[in-house]
Amino acid sequence: MLKLQDIRLTFHRGTVNERRALDCVNLHLSPGDFATVIGSNGAGKSTMLNVIAGSYEADSGKILLDGEDITLRKEYKRANKIGRLFQDPLKGTAPNMTIEENLGLAYLRGKKRGMGSGLKKTDEAFFKKMLACLGLGLEDRLKTQVKLLSGGQRQALTLLMATIVTPKLLLLDEHTAALDPKTALQIMRITDGIVRENQITTLMITHNIKDALSYGNKTVVMGQGRVVLILEGEERAGMTVERLMQLYSANTQDAFSDKMILYSRHT
Amino acid sequence: MGTILMGGLELGLILAVMAIGMFLSFKILNIPDLTVDSSFTLGCAVSAIGAANGHPVLGFLLSVLAGMAAGCVTGFLQTKLKIQPILAGILTMTGLYSVNLWVMGDKPNIPLFGKATIFTPLQGKLPVLFEKLPVIALVLIAVAVLIRLFLKTQIGMSLRATGDNEDMVRASSINSDGMKILGLALSNGIVALSGALMAQYQSFSDISAGIGMMVIGLASIIVGDAFVGKGSVGRGMLAAILGAVIYRFILTFALQLRMPLSGLKLLSALLVVLAISIAAARDALAKRRMRNA
Repeated sequence: MLKLQDIRLTFHRGTVNERRALDCVNLHLSPGDFATVIGSNGAGKSTMLNVIAGSYEADSGKILLDGEDITLRKEYKRANKIGRLFQDPLKGTAPNMTIEENLGLAYLRGKKRGMGSGLKKTDEAFFKKMLACLGLGLEDRLKTQVKLLSGGQRQALTLLMATIVTPKLLLLDEHTAALDPKTALQIMRITDGIVRENQITTLMITHNIKDALSYGNKTVVMGQGRVVLILEGEERAGMTVERLMQLYSANTQDAFSDKMILYSRHT
Repeated sequence: MGTILMGGLELGLILAVMAIGMFLSFKILNIPDLTVDSSFTLGCAVSAIGAANGHPVLGFLLSVLAGMAAGCVTGFLQTKLKIQPILAGILTMTGLYSVNLWVMGDKPNIPLFGKATIFTPLQGKLPVLFEKLPVIALVLIAVAVLIRLFLKTQIGMSLRATGDNEDMVRASSINSDGMKILGLALSNGIVALSGALMAQYQSFSDISAGIGMMVIGLASIIVGDAFVGKGSVGRGMLAAILGAVIYRFILTFALQLRMPLSGLKLLSALLVVLAISIAAARDALAKRRMRNA
């Protein structure tokens, strides 16, 4: 479904701040794969997602999605097939528009937007049903402005917006990191449910190593702009947080960041 | 007195058309667009040239297209050439000054006295006091209703979202650059329409007609907000219309109190300062009351 071939990206090329963010990244996801991505700060996780989504353009290499070469395609055009969640819950929704209007916009993903009515009466029941699935009581608040919702509610709504038209690929960039632990768990469960039910090919960055091993079917370990390890099948099933951290240090010269260790101990 | 009040109302309603245009850029797209000063003049110029050559309606309609073209230029500078919004507006405004002069045949003003205008058909059919109001009201209502309906369409909603959260818009497969260009084109098209009305209303087009118009539009929107309060799109548009009329009445009143004509722009600027500070003062007052309660 998704293929990254020799992706390279250097920031601030030719200056003292030159930094190789992605150094020959190769990755292959099959349809329905749910891959988690871990790595210390600056390992290139977010950069990789941004390159896939089109926020950054790769210096070299090729990106194939669903058999199509999307390497040079514009960000908003890739969004036809890619759903995306940011770490910041404020980034994924339009705050001054209502829940219904946000969903209405998302429901038009990949379709031509014209002079037809932005909100169809017939869609209302469908939106309510989808919102009810989140279990947050949002189905009764269709006319509420999104800025009045909590971070967790907004992130859940963004998740629904990203998947209401089933995308070919779902990119999650630490989408629960800004939430409190209880809400984070709730959003993770909702995410897992939606991804599994629709068999969406998914790439999820997390700082929580336990989450990285318990959710999905593959774990991608990144370090210094490279994919250093991909765990799947039995090897992944038998992996523990401690062993993974040892493996990580052995494969890169990096130690896991404190933040990651903290996360895995406390949750 | 009746003539003076009616004059204030008429001018206020003409400015309200412009305020709706600026509502699109300032409020919906959240872009400070300085093109306004020159696209207003462009509207004046095109409409005056039309009327001077015996085609008042054609000139009136063409002014919208001219304004939209000006908006497209600013939008292009902002999105494709990555020029800061304020600078992009200033650049278009500066360049348009020459264009406006060319449109007006290298003359700084065009008088339309004795020429037919869009107001001519009603002349003599209504009491003199009410001769011009119907046309102005019709244009204002048509613009307001069309824009209100447009903002409910799929494209209109995408436009609103672009001003609200650009990240979300791009992630939802909406071309945010295209939306900005479209929004600025519409906005300046309406501003030019307001200029076109003004030129034929005053039977006069002047190269400096648009100077300070952006501040007037801003004053209208902010004064209206202070009276109507912020809220839905419909309410915001109503606020802009009401604000323009209130603003114009304040000026009419000030002129009646013998304020010199040269003080007009200073008063406009002070009104904007006042209107903005009213909102801030109200928030501070509410906070204080809450603490003391």
